[in-house]
Amino acid sequence: MKRTSTSPQVSRRSALRSGIALGTAAIVGSMPTRLLAEDHPLKGQKIDMTILGIAGWGPSSLGVAMSPLFAEYVKAKYGYDVTFAFQEAPFSDLFQKAATSLATKSQEFNIIISDSQWLGALAQPGWILNLNDVIKNNPGLQLDWYSKAVVDTYMTYPDGSDQIWGLPQEGDVEALFVRKDMLEDPEEQAAFEARYGTRLAQTWEDFAEMNMEEFEKIAEFFTRPDAGLWGFSQQYSRVYDFATCAFNNFLWSRGGSIWDPATGQIEGILNTPENAASLVEFKRWLKYQPPGATNFGIGEGIDVFVQGKVFSQIQWAAVGTAMISEELKGKVLVVPPPKHGTGADAKRIMSMGGQPWVINAFNDEAHMRVAIDFMNWWYLPETTLEFARRGGNPCDKATLSRDDFDDINPWNRTFKYMLEDGRSQDFWHDPKYSEMLAVQQEGYSAFVTDQATDPQAVMNYIACAQQQILFDEGVAKTEPSGICAGISL
Amino acid sequence: MSLATQTPGRRRLMDNPRARVLVLLAPVMMFFIVFNTIPTLWLLGLSFYKYSLTGGVPPEFIGFKNFVGIFNAKNAIWFDLSRTFTFVISGVAFQTLLGAALGFLFWGSRNMPGRRVALTLLFAPMVLTPVATGTFFRFIYDPTFGVLNYLIRAVVETGPIDFLGNPKLAFWAVLAVDCWMWTPFMTLMTLAALGSVPKAELEAAEIDRVPFLRRLTLVIWHHGKFIMMLGILLRTIDSFKTLDLIIPMTKGGPGQNTRLVALELNKQSFESFNMGWSSAYAVLLLLISIAMTSVFIYVLNLRRRKETEG
Repeated sequence: MKRTSTSPQVSRRSALRSGIALGTAAIVGSMPTRLLAEDHPLKGQKIDMTILGIAGWGPSSLGVAMSPLFAEYVKAKYGYDVTFAFQEAPFSDLFQKAATSLATKSQEFNIIISDSQWLGALAQPGWILNLNDVIKNNPGLQLDWYSKAVVDTYMTYPDGSDQIWGLPQEGDVEALFVRKDMLEDPEEQAAFEARYGTRLAQTWEDFAEMNMEEFEKIAEFFTRPDAGLWGFSQQYSRVYDFATCAFNNFLWSRGGSIWDPATGQIEGILNTPENAASLVEFKRWLKYQPPGATNFGIGEGIDVFVQGKVFSQIQWAAVGTAMISEELKGKVLVVPPPKHGTGADAKRIMSMGGQPWVINAFNDEAHMRVAIDFMNWWYLPETTLEFARRGGNPCDKATLSRDDFDDINPWNRTFKYMLEDGRSQDFWHDPKYSEMLAVQQEGYSAFVTDQATDPQAVMNYIACAQQQILFDEGVAKTEPSGICAGISL
Repeated sequence: MSLATQTPGRRRLMDNPRARVLVLLAPVMMFFIVFNTIPTLWLLGLSFYKYSLTGGVPPEFIGFKNFVGIFNAKNAIWFDLSRTFTFVISGVAFQTLLGAALGFLFWGSRNMPGRRVALTLLFAPMVLTPVATGTFFRFIYDPTFGVLNYLIRAVVETGPIDFLGNPKLAFWAVLAVDCWMWTPFMTLMTLAALGSVPKAELEAAEIDRVPFLRRLTLVIWHHGKFIMMLGILLRTIDSFKTLDLIIPMTKGGPGQNTRLVALELNKQSFESFNMGWSSAYAVLLLLISIAMTSVFIYVLNLRRRKETEG
């Protein structure tokens, strides 16, 4: 049976929590500021809040680094004191930390910075607050988001429904970081032109129009193992979703799909010969990458780029501050990743990154109220601008449309460009995402490291296992087919 | 409360040897029941249910379906078990042999200057947390900036070696780290075993000019075997559960090359939250552990039984 957000368990909890939120929010939204300061029910109280976020992830820690501003704001506006503690875990372990706490109905973490794919897994058991009524009663949260991709990725579960469970904490897209200083070197330009008979790309616009075939020349040109330099890198690691996000860039941009969200069908959609060919192409790019690239995740990628071992890298815009170290300031150009295909058919559909805020459904009334106050504050124009100035990526149209937005950070122009509909998309938000992800991470890792050599067999293995998972869950309507019997990597 | 103020009833209770044993054992028994027996029974019960923590639906009784699913190679338990037994047998064998050799070396060099410092340094890997060890070995093994590749290339002309990314090397690279960590444990057990050998018997064997190998089998092994077998048993059980070393090093990869049973169990239970399925998996692993322990204890007692019967 396909579950929807109208399941009684979720609805009851949502209704209860939303009711609290509704009551408080109605007051906050409808009264003049001076009156609010006098009448806020938490006036004179001191509340300790805890945010759970991603360890080593700059944008996550920004949420807490900026929290003293919120404390000042509510002290002045509502007359209560608030402190924030930050609990963290790496990407691959954060869901485990959140889920084990929420499963005990604990309010240990009042606000959680979730990854986008976790929305279903957190919403389905009723662990996080449904935000429909909160948004309805808080004009400050009724924002005009930059694109539909923002709403689909960070806010909605089930996909395509009108049920809102999260609000964007940090938007994120894939970007191509290239060494501008190397591109501008006249000797390199002359050598490139002599070798390929064409000009070495120089500007953001040059790269925006570029396809993988053209980019491959540049990657090949800068691949000089004897000098300890390689032309390109991307993520192939088996950890978390690293290989998946990088491979989906190839799969989607070459016209493939990973599933049918309406029917839960995976077999026959993921394991097409075209997608198997995309997997081969994904692996082929290893020849322009440093040894050990099959273990590269986000951190390893940043290391090799900052150490000057690679000319270019597809990396998340969110780690722009880490990628552009002090030594590299002014030497890096951040551009859209190349398109796949040629001519009018060339496509660029990359993976969405980023994380939503979600609110613990088990917060008591006071913590729930502070959490909603915090959300209202987070989306104030001055807060989103401050977030951007500190290196974060807001998602509201007002901030992104500012004349000066592109100049705030070197990656902002690309972030905005890639955030437009049709250029970036997320994968499944199903509660079983973790199990499905683990299967395909194993499969992709096995293929790129030569443990498995038949791309079609790898895609069949993944499709069969995922079809079984969704069928067992009741989301997929059909069982895995006969080819799946006894299949293994 | 002083003894003088104790009631006669309580005094009588503590005077009774059987009651005293029960009273003294009660706290530990309570601890054992609450933290061991009840969770094990709970685990056993849950193994018959289909239950996902993130599913938002109540547990559904499905009988032996989880066990059937595991035996029908869902997630290829057979590959994981085969890999795990290779890891356990090769690792424990190597650690025992090298650990015993080192133990004999230290035993025979009691007057060596700096012996105490050398022993402390030798035991250091054993006291490090496996997660920290795995993390720094990941960097040591790194083909681009790892120190091991640097050293190898300083001696031999070769390209970078991707120890953890190469399916042919990754398993053995992880096993090497496990041996680095746990060989000192077997050295420690060897020293303890050697310490249990009566000095008089060793001196008598020396006076009689008994060859070393015969001394080893007739005197040293005879007295030290229990401690050595205990060491091997503890290492076997611990090695079977290896998890925290692999997570930071390879997370089970490349592909599935270093996916041991504990890693799969961790993934299914605490990443995928398939509580029913992973409970069934854990029950099977528990049975395997019990079987292994029983075999060890049986072997250990075999000779003693024969001697008693004889």
